Amino acid sequence: MAANSDGMMQTDIFEDLQRKIDADSAIKDALRDVVQTLEKQDRNTQSTLSRAHSTSSAELPLVVKGAQASIQNEVEAIQQLSEIASKNPYYKFNYAWTRQMQDACFSILLCGYLGGFGKAEGGQLLTIEEVGQVMSVPVNLKDRDAFHLTIEEYLLALVSLLEELARLARNSVTLGDYRRPLQISQFIKDVHAGFQILNLKNDTLRKRSDGIKYRVKDVEDVVYDLSLRGLLPKD
Amino acid sequence: MDTEKDVGNAASASTLLPIFEAFRAELDEHHDRRERIIKASRDITAASKKIVRKLNAPLPQNVVKGNKQYYDTISTQFSSVSSDLQGLNAHRYGRQISGGCQEYIEAASFEHYLQTANILPYEDAAAQMKQLDSDGPGVELSPEDYLLGIYDMTGELMRFAVTSMATNGSLPTISSTNDAAETDPAPNTQRNLLTDMRDLRSALESLDAGTGPFARDADKKMDVMRASVEKVEKALYGLTVRGAERPKGWMPDTSTGRALEVEG
Repeated sequence: MAANSDGMMQTDIFEDLQRKIDADSAIKDALRDVVQTLEKQDRNTQSTLSRAHSTSSAELPLVVKGAQASIQNEVEAIQQLSEIASKNPYYKFNYAWTRQMQDACFSILLCGYLGGFGKAEGGQLLTIEEVGQVMSVPVNLKDRDAFHLTIEEYLLALVSLLEELARLARNSVTLGDYRRPLQISQFIKDVHAGFQILNLKNDTLRKRSDGIKYRVKDVEDVVYDLSLRGLLPKD
Repeated sequence: MDTEKDVGNAASASTLLPIFEAFRAELDEHHDRRERIIKASRDITAASKKIVRKLNAPLPQNVVKGNKQYYDTISTQFSSVSSDLQGLNAHRYGRQISGGCQEYIEAASFEHYLQTANILPYEDAAAQMKQLDSDGPGVELSPEDYLLGIYDMTGELMRFAVTSMATNGSLPTISSTNDAAETDPAPNTQRNLLTDMRDLRSALESLDAGTGPFARDADKKMDVMRASVEKVEKALYGLTVRGAERPKGWMPDTSTGRALEVEG
């Protein structure tokens, strides 16, 4: 390559790059709109699900039904998101939606635990595959580059679920339901045992999951209070 | 923990454990790959810095050959992780390899400038980087890493300009490089290292980085880049004002002052 002699260096070579950056900005804008919709819908779902803290077991199915309908709206937003996102490298933009996908996943997990999505007996953990089916997106994709739910997002949502259940255990007692804290206690311990076999590095997942042991203790305290007073169900 | 109850509910625990074992396998694979890439990126960074240091040493054309060992190191490192950086994973671990890519571009574009007096274009840089892993799929160069590497390269141009002024008492002009311009332009349009740095500065300044992680990085580097251009301008000012007083080839006051500024 010969040096050009017109007294200027070749700097127009950045123009192509500017076009690339601008194209990325347009994608980010489109994503932001959809993600904001998803966020708004998830707030709706959360406000419906939070009624579980003040609803007796008998009326819980109504709350679950309402939440499921709201989650259906979220699924539509997720579908739109998936359509835009799948046209682009997944990890290039995933920071734009990972938080909202975690929240949506948490809503689905909580709704499932309370008896939604065909888990009518309640107290069940929806697997990552089941959450993916609800969202109708693939999970933990490795062989192709498309929109999906990641393991990290699922596990972070699971930590949120445990935090919410610790709160629900106390509130169940207030509502006169002495059986549910036992069920929650067992569930949290099982999941805690699961997290303990993971080799976590010093990342967000590690920091969030470090808090699980305190949730285990919270719920154990509730069970202890009940057993001390002979309030635990006999069967 | 609580053996009595665990026995009673063993069924639920045993259905969860296989799920978490699968997660553990996935996460372990992810962390291993991530650490491999981080290590390669560090080695590439170290080798690139050595290339730059050699290029900045006196008589750069003599040491270009001596840099082969470092390019070999870089090539080996890129090859070792190129298969980890394909498809979905290219962007997943983009942040981990980014540092190495930027440093490599800094070294490669600096060398390219010293040899051709021009900026290494993105396409050429990307092709060069692929070439480093000639037997494998190659590592993709992102436009962002390319630009951030170019920002860093201005710092090397500054160092080169200041060193040249301190040792030769003049700013390197473009016609003094091997690919000299054939025509003799008018003196006021004569290209030199400083006019090139100014051109580069204005080109980078007119770039709109948008929003997001890249914009934040570019912002920081922009300040450093502006400071680099100003350091050369100040040095040239010193040379012009005080230069007339000094005997040829000797710079009593500017050399010490300059040396301090280079460090900063």
